[in-house]
Order: sequence, then structure tokens, then C-alpha cells
Amino acid sequence: MFSSIEEVIERFAAQKYIASRRIATVVYLAAALRKPILVEGPAGVGKTDLAKVLALALGHDLIRLQCYEGLDEGKALYEWEYAKQLLYTQILKDKISEVLTGAQGLAAAVDRIAKEDEVFFSERFVLPRPLLKAITADKPVVLLIDEIDKADAEFEAFLLELLSDFQVTVPEIGTFKARQVPLVVLTSNNAREMSDALKRRCLHLYIDFPDREQELAIIKLKAPEAADRLAGEVVTVVQSLRKLDLKKSPGISETIDWVKALTLLNVQHLDQDLVNETLDTIVKYEGDVRKAQEELKEYVRRARARRGGEAGQPGPASDKDLLN
Amino acid sequence: MDDKLVEFANLLRQNGVRVSLAETLDALAASGVTGLLDRESFRAALRATMVKRASELPVFEELFEVYFSGLGEIIKQAGQGVQEALSMSDQEFQKFLDQVEEMLKQQGEKLSELARELLQNRSGQLEKRLREAARAVRLQGIERTIEENYFARALARALGLDKLEQEIRELREQIQTLDYGNALKAQLEKYLDRRLKALEDIIRRYVRMEREKRDLRAREEQRLHQLSDKSFYYLSDEELERMKEAVTRLAQRLKNALAVRRKHAKKGRFDIKRTLRHNLEYGGVPFKLRFEKRRREKPQVVILCDVSDSVRNASRFMLQFVYSLQDLYSRVRSFVFVSDIGEVTEHFRGNDIKEALDIALKGDVINVYAHSDFGRAFRNFVGDHIGAVNKRTTVIVLGDARNNYNLPHDWCLREIRQRARRIIWLNPESRNTWGFGDSEMERYAPHCDLVEECRNLNQLYRVVDHLVAR
Repeated sequence: MFSSIEEVIERFAAQKYIASRRIATVVYLAAALRKPILVEGPAGVGKTDLAKVLALALGHDLIRLQCYEGLDEGKALYEWEYAKQLLYTQILKDKISEVLTGAQGLAAAVDRIAKEDEVFFSERFVLPRPLLKAITADKPVVLLIDEIDKADAEFEAFLLELLSDFQVTVPEIGTFKARQVPLVVLTSNNAREMSDALKRRCLHLYIDFPDREQELAIIKLKAPEAADRLAGEVVTVVQSLRKLDLKKSPGISETIDWVKALTLLNVQHLDQDLVNETLDTIVKYEGDVRKAQEELKEYVRRARARRGGEAGQPGPASDKDLLN
Repeated sequence: MDDKLVEFANLLRQNGVRVSLAETLDALAASGVTGLLDRESFRAALRATMVKRASELPVFEELFEVYFSGLGEIIKQAGQGVQEALSMSDQEFQKFLDQVEEMLKQQGEKLSELARELLQNRSGQLEKRLREAARAVRLQGIERTIEENYFARALARALGLDKLEQEIRELREQIQTLDYGNALKAQLEKYLDRRLKALEDIIRRYVRMEREKRDLRAREEQRLHQLSDKSFYYLSDEELERMKEAVTRLAQRLKNALAVRRKHAKKGRFDIKRTLRHNLEYGGVPFKLRFEKRRREKPQVVILCDVSDSVRNASRFMLQFVYSLQDLYSRVRSFVFVSDIGEVTEHFRGNDIKEALDIALKGDVINVYAHSDFGRAFRNFVGDHIGAVNKRTTVIVLGDARNNYNLPHDWCLREIRQRARRIIWLNPESRNTWGFGDSEMERYAPHCDLVEECRNLNQLYRVVDHLVAR
């Protein structure tokens, strides 16, 4: 585990994830107190990545459970392998009749079968799903429960036993207690409010969009091939876009995609045509594209004016800038 | 520390953040892990354990600043103030403090603890002492500005400021007898004076800070109460602005609540086809049963809003509310009237809610400066727009039913009732006044399925909740 908050930051940085002190503190606490983390925030700020990087940083396996509407215990925890059970009964028919030979009457036969039924309801026929896998793993793991807000409220209630005691109960076999307490990360996009009971058991981490410096640092790390100047321009644009009232604000991943795309096209400066052509890498709705174009037109005009000034009279212009 | 955290949790609760006992315990455990030395980590630890809603983060940040930086920061600033007054650099000041300590060792054997802490700049102990004294005089009970002086005096007495003054005076005299250089003597005297002043300053600022802390709480509480219980009619411009936010928040809350409620809706009938298909892998033995999903019918809504002067605010929030929740209905059509009636549905489709509201209320569609005439408006509605109403439509009328003694034409409402699923009438006037003067409420009420008073945000919320819940 981690020995200090600084170590969290370092090890995350080694995995190319820039963790602010706030994030690092929460991660450190979660590891020290053995508590799940509930990560909330807008889409595309690295909520899921946090879990992945955590697993890499600790050298643990990552077990991921993607939530969706209608997700039930069968998909999340365990399931009996009915098909396998049926198959085995078919194959073992002879053995079963052997067991039954000499039984007097139906009652005796049922008793004899009953004696054997542990065979069929044993761990052999349990099909472990992510949650049970995380509990029964020999090595410590990081369990990522992604987009928990998409799952039903009942599922959330069902998670409570797991999150507070790190154990799950299978009625036919008994209770599985975690051999290694897994580190649990839950992410939510706030499609609906989580129940208080769930929130109470978790450390809460709200990740917001990064500020300019942080975002630049992230780009430098994730897309080192991008020119500094271009990265700066892109970040300025994206930051200003986030201030607009968009249906979906561009996340960090979109910024990185855009920088990569622009670098691939060998672009030095943002200009009008180029922006229009590549805008759909960062803005995903038709209405948003229109709003963003308005904003960008303004930005590109200003940027060009600035560049024009510099190119025309390099020395005096920069002096003037200083004076202003 | 435990006490402080519990008190902080209380403060959070009083400001509307829900902090359970278990979470306070978590906060304790977490602060034990991070330690108290690094402020940012401590803050992050509390934040992660005590605040579980993004919307409550600003409250937390504000309170944390006030609560935790408070006294320590004040003492630190006072210390810096002394250093500045002596115009020394950090190093010089440190050296000077060493000298002071040396002197105290020689001279101050009978000095009180307080004097030692103050003069040797032991801010941690001083802070603790101040807090104890504050508890003794019940400083947390302070509420008004005029109490500041009283509490400052009480705190000074509890600390033993009189004795301290005495001690410092004696110390000054002793310094004169020592064989230090004159410059150093002067500096020492100045230091003593400054220190005493600084403590007085600290006390004053501490008391004020405590008062502000309570104030913050009171203000916040008041604001929420007032807003949701205040009649729409009396809102000031600034309150109107805040109310708009409040409506948006309430709408979001309602949406969340409904999302959960929807999920709990009962399952439908047994679905044979899907059951068979899903159980093919088990040789057709029905291990897993499948049910039809019962689809909840979304209500269709037609809103008739009176936008005459007397009820315009209520209409504004009604419209805003309904349109913020648009995806809960299959169809919303809205009409505004004073004496003419006009449809504003289109404006809401193309525009932002805010712009649409302005268009609807500012008289672009109908003349909003006429005298209310419900009868005429209803007759026109039946004549021109009755097609908007069908068996699945809920008709909501929002108005005070003050008809200026015109013909009420209540038969129009009956006509609408016969075609609609139900009619809900919301009246922004207090129930006691219905039926008096030119109010035709009594005449209209029999044709409505539900007549509700709707004067403030709480009532509005209940009505809309009722509307979508079924």
C-alpha cells in the first residue's frame, strides 16, 4: 500500500496520471481505512481512469463491473451454472442409479439423493461474476464498479453488504468473506442521486474539470508529441468552451483527442477552417457545435490579430504588449 | 480534536449538510490517518468523509475556512503584526525571540503560563487556552453585534488579562535594571507592549469571528425558509433571481426522486415468449421468469396561465417548473391569458427557458396590460384551441379568478372538463379570500377535479409532485 500522500502522487505520476493533492489524499485514506471511494463528476474527467491507474500503481489486478439498467445479482455476483449441472446429471445417470439401487420406496430414494446434493450446489457449479471474483481472489485486487448511477436502486441496496463487510452470502453454500479486502472504486455520472446509505459507507470524491495549468500538464504527459504552443491554444479554447452552456462540456479525454488529431494533421495554429473541420472531436451535439463555433470564431479572430501584430513588427509589438 | 470535529459536524448540519454519526466517526479516523499538520490533506479528508453531495461542497468550503483557519490564523497574523512593528526580518525576529526566552528564564520564574505562551510566541498553546476560556464564557452563544463588547470583556477576564497586564508592567521595570544595551532594552519594551496589544486584538477578532460564524448560519437558514415559504407576490427583484435557481434545483430533486420511484413500479404480466426464449439454455425448463415491463403513461399537460400583474410571478415559476421537467410529460402546451388568450408553446420549443418566459410574460403574444377577464379567455380557448384537449390531457389553470365583474362563462370550463382527463386549478391567493369581491373561484371550483392554493414554492413543489407521481 501507500506510505504517504506524496507517494500516491508519485506513483500515479509514474502511471501518467496527474493526481491533485485532494485526489491523492482520498486515495491514500481509502487504502489506509479500507473504505470504498465514490467518485463523482462530469463525464470525461478521468473517473474510470482513476481506478485503472490505482490498480497499476499498486500492481493489483483490476476487476471491472459495468453497471446498466436491469443489472441484477446474477450478472454481478454469481450464478448457478444450470447447464453444467444438467450436463453432469445426464453424464452421471449411471452413478445416480447406482446410488439409488436398493432404495426401498420413493422416500428412501429422495433421502439418498438429498445426501448427495452438496455435490451439485458446491463451488464447482458456481459461476463467479465480478463481485464474487473480487471477494474470492487470492491476490489483492482493485474493484471498479463503473457508472453505478445507471444501475437500479435495488442493486445499490444489494451492494451495501459487500461494501461495509466485504462479504457476500450465497444461500446454498454460505458466506464468502474476502480473503483480501479489495479496494473498491465506484463511479457515478450523477444520472440520479445515490442513496444515503451507500454514500455513508464511501469516501466521497468530486473531480471537477481541471484548471488551465493542470490540463496543460496532463496534455504534456498524455500527448508529449504535441507542440507547447498548440497545446496552450487548445487548452485556452477548451476552457472557454466549458464556460458555455453546452449539453455536454468537453472532458479531458476530448481535449487530448483533439490535440492528438491536430498534431497528426501537423497543425501549428488554430484557424477557422481547421477548427470547423475538427470541432466534432470535442463537441458531440449539433446544437453545441453551433454554439462552440460562435465562440471559436471570436477566439480565432483575436488570436490572428495577435499573431499578425507579432509577425509584422516583432520588437516594438512585444514591447507594446508589455506596456499594455 | 474530537470535540472540535463534532462541533464542526454540527455546524455543517445546521447549514443543511447531512452528516451522520458514522460519517463523523469516519472523519475522525481519516483525520487520524492524514494528521493535522498538513491543512490541505486534513481538508480533503474531512471533505471526503463528511460531504457526499457535490452541491454541498461550497457550503463545506466556506465553513471550513471560517471554522478551522479562524483562530490559528488570527494568532498567526497578530504575531506577524508584532514582527512588523519591530521591523525585523524572520531571522532577526527568531534571534530576538531567543533572547526573550533567555531573559524570561532569568527574570520570569513567577510568570504565569499565559504570559510565557504569549511572549514566547507559542501560538498552539495560546490557541488552546483561548478556546478553553471561550468555552467557559459560552462564546458559542453569541448572536448579535452588540454582544461583541460584552463577550470580549468576559473573555479577557476569563483569560486573566488584568494579571497579565500587571506582570508585563513588572517585567518592564525589571528590564530597566538589567545590564542590556539601551537599544535592546527599548526593543524589549516595545515588544512587551506590542504583545499585550496583540492579545487584546486577538480577543476582539476572535469574538467577532464567532459572531460571524453564527450569523452565516442564521442567514443561510433564513434565506431558505423565507424563499420557499414566501408568497410569490411579495418577492423582490433579487429574490426573484434566487428563486429561479431554487426552482431549477427543486425540479432536479423531483426528477431524481421520480427516477427512483419509476424503478420501483410494479412489474407487468408474465411474458411467455421471453421466458421461453431465455430458458432455452436450460432445455426449456423455466428457471428464470420474465415479465412484461409495465410502461407508465406520461401525462399530457395543457397549462392556462393568467399573466396579469397580480399573479405574474406565480405563473412564471409554474411555467419554469413545468418546462424544466419537460421530459416527464409526453406533451406540454401552454397558453397565457389576461383577457385575450394566446399560445406560447412554440416559444418554449425554440428558445432557452429564460428567453421563452420573457416572451410569454412581456406582452409579445397578448396584451398583458388589459383587465383580467377569465370568462372571455375561456370562451376563446374553447372556440379556438379546444383541440388541444383530449382524454389524456391534464389541464392546469393558474390564476386568482378575479374577473373584474365580467361574465364568468363557467360553462366553458365544464366543456373543457368533459374533454379532459382532469382539471387542476391553482390559485396564488390565500384560500380565505376566495369568493370575496370579484373572485369567481366558487363558481369555477365545481368544474375542477382539484383546487389548490399555490402561493409559494413549497406549495408549487407539492402540486407538481402530485401531478407527475400518478
